Amino acid sequence: MNDSDSSVYQQEYGGDVGFVTFSDFYCDVPLDFELGGRLDSFNVRYETYGRLNEDKSNAILVCHALTGDHHCAGVYTMKDRKSGWWNNIIGPEKPLDTNKYFVICSNCIGGCRGTTGPSSINPKTGERYNLTFPAVTMRDIVAVQERLITYLGIKKLAMIIGGSMGGMQTLQWAIDFPDRVEKICALATTSRQNAQAIAFNEVGRSAIMQDPVWNGGNYELARVPSVGLGIARMMAHITYLSDKGLDEKFGREHKKIAGNEIFKPSFEIENYLHYQGQSFVNRFDANSYLYFTRALDLFDLRSEGGSLEKAFENVQAKALVVGFTSDWLFPPEQNREIVKALLRIGKTASYAEIKSDLGHDSFLIHSPKLYKLVEYFLND
Amino acid sequence: MTDDANIKSRSKRKVELKAISEWISNGEKVLDLGCGRGILLDELTRQKHIYGVGVDTDFDKITYAIKRGVNVYHGDILDALSAFDDNSFDWIICSRTLPELENAREVVMEALRVGKRVAVGFVNHGYWRNRLSYILKGERIVNEVFPSKWDTARPMNPICVNSFKDFCASSDINILRTHFLRGDWETPCKIFPNILSGYAIFEISKKNK
Repeated sequence: MNDSDSSVYQQEYGGDVGFVTFSDFYCDVPLDFELGGRLDSFNVRYETYGRLNEDKSNAILVCHALTGDHHCAGVYTMKDRKSGWWNNIIGPEKPLDTNKYFVICSNCIGGCRGTTGPSSINPKTGERYNLTFPAVTMRDIVAVQERLITYLGIKKLAMIIGGSMGGMQTLQWAIDFPDRVEKICALATTSRQNAQAIAFNEVGRSAIMQDPVWNGGNYELARVPSVGLGIARMMAHITYLSDKGLDEKFGREHKKIAGNEIFKPSFEIENYLHYQGQSFVNRFDANSYLYFTRALDLFDLRSEGGSLEKAFENVQAKALVVGFTSDWLFPPEQNREIVKALLRIGKTASYAEIKSDLGHDSFLIHSPKLYKLVEYFLND
Repeated sequence: MTDDANIKSRSKRKVELKAISEWISNGEKVLDLGCGRGILLDELTRQKHIYGVGVDTDFDKITYAIKRGVNVYHGDILDALSAFDDNSFDWIICSRTLPELENAREVVMEALRVGKRVAVGFVNHGYWRNRLSYILKGERIVNEVFPSKWDTARPMNPICVNSFKDFCASSDINILRTHFLRGDWETPCKIFPNILSGYAIFEISKKNK
């Protein structure tokens, strides 16, 4: 997820949802986590756009990626410089048309944007959970979303859509709650990360955990491990883009480099990454970053039955998976194999591939081709 | 293309699809290689409640197939075939697909592995009008079936009925059924199909299957 790009792309399609507010769903039914641990109660922060129809059949759940949140469309106040992270696809007459559909997005459990996570206060101790927070998996994230959907009175979602880690959630939903979702749309995702993606996550975690300020996760909120988290973000950000995309945007543009200051960031790409790192530190909790990257690493749909076919056995939802040619984090091949497995066992599934130079983040960026696919799939 | 030619082309396509779909029974599993916009699979799904999967390399066509609600796989045909076990489809359809492939032989062989039966349909370039164009003008015919000249049309290897028969004979492929249509793609062609049929459909299978 990119911290600066969404405002660059002009709106050409449809209208905006306008001013939005978030809501909180406080759940006091205990939650047992997949890998052990339990929360007696927790909060889920979410936003909705559009109106739920009478038979509650027009709901779409949007699942956010690693560093996203529940605020995916509209603005809170006039002063907001940016709209929600997927404003280009959600709104009146946009692919996720809020005139027709009721769009829901919630912050994942373990997050840091209002839903209970490591930085929340443990009511039993009066202190922050930090690393005493239970390990989070995609299954836990989806289980909490299911609680929210049930709370909203929705029996069956018209569609669940998400990219990257959001795409994993759509797959997990179709597996764990096969009768609760009509369609899933997974973008730039994978059924399990390869060694390369795990490697990048581990470098990011190492940067955080080796920052002395991190202190075993017990840092003060006034003084966070900003060096480690910033570096983790800088590195991860490169994996969301592509060689060609970066070159077109920044090339070798740089200020004059003085002989006595040769290590001062002078190339545009350097300044851009530092900006990305800095702005990320201000909006994201280091421990949440550790938990979510681990959830990504652990996600492996083959782990239970030994094969994707086995994992997808009970899937009822119609699936659309979209890969992007320049995505080298979750490359097209990893998206393709999801659909191949579904088709091998006679499920309803489609695969489409979009030519793009913008890497993994392509799914977030203005793309009429993607809009058409999503719109057609949703309304077929 | 003029409107008239457009209508002609569309009705020709319909007849072609009708001919192929007559062979397919209710509830069968069908894999359409080069499915385009998914028109055939859409029809078959509605009329015969088949389970269909289409494969195509054209993004825009895939998009329209998704609009129709057809299962489609955007990508290489051989790559798609490699995903499936032997005999996992009742039918594999190659309707006007083979002339556009660089690896037609490989695709046919793989299709014979994955499908219990394979239907191959192609424009017969041995048809007298198509030949006449070569003889008189020295170039491939331009009509409602091939609306574009070489400078904008997709590359294509012309096939004729006899050359396809030869290919089958030399590749241990059985021809189980044939369906030849005259130049209007409607009237059955009973004699001299290599020169009198405009469109040919073969049902083939592997000899040792």
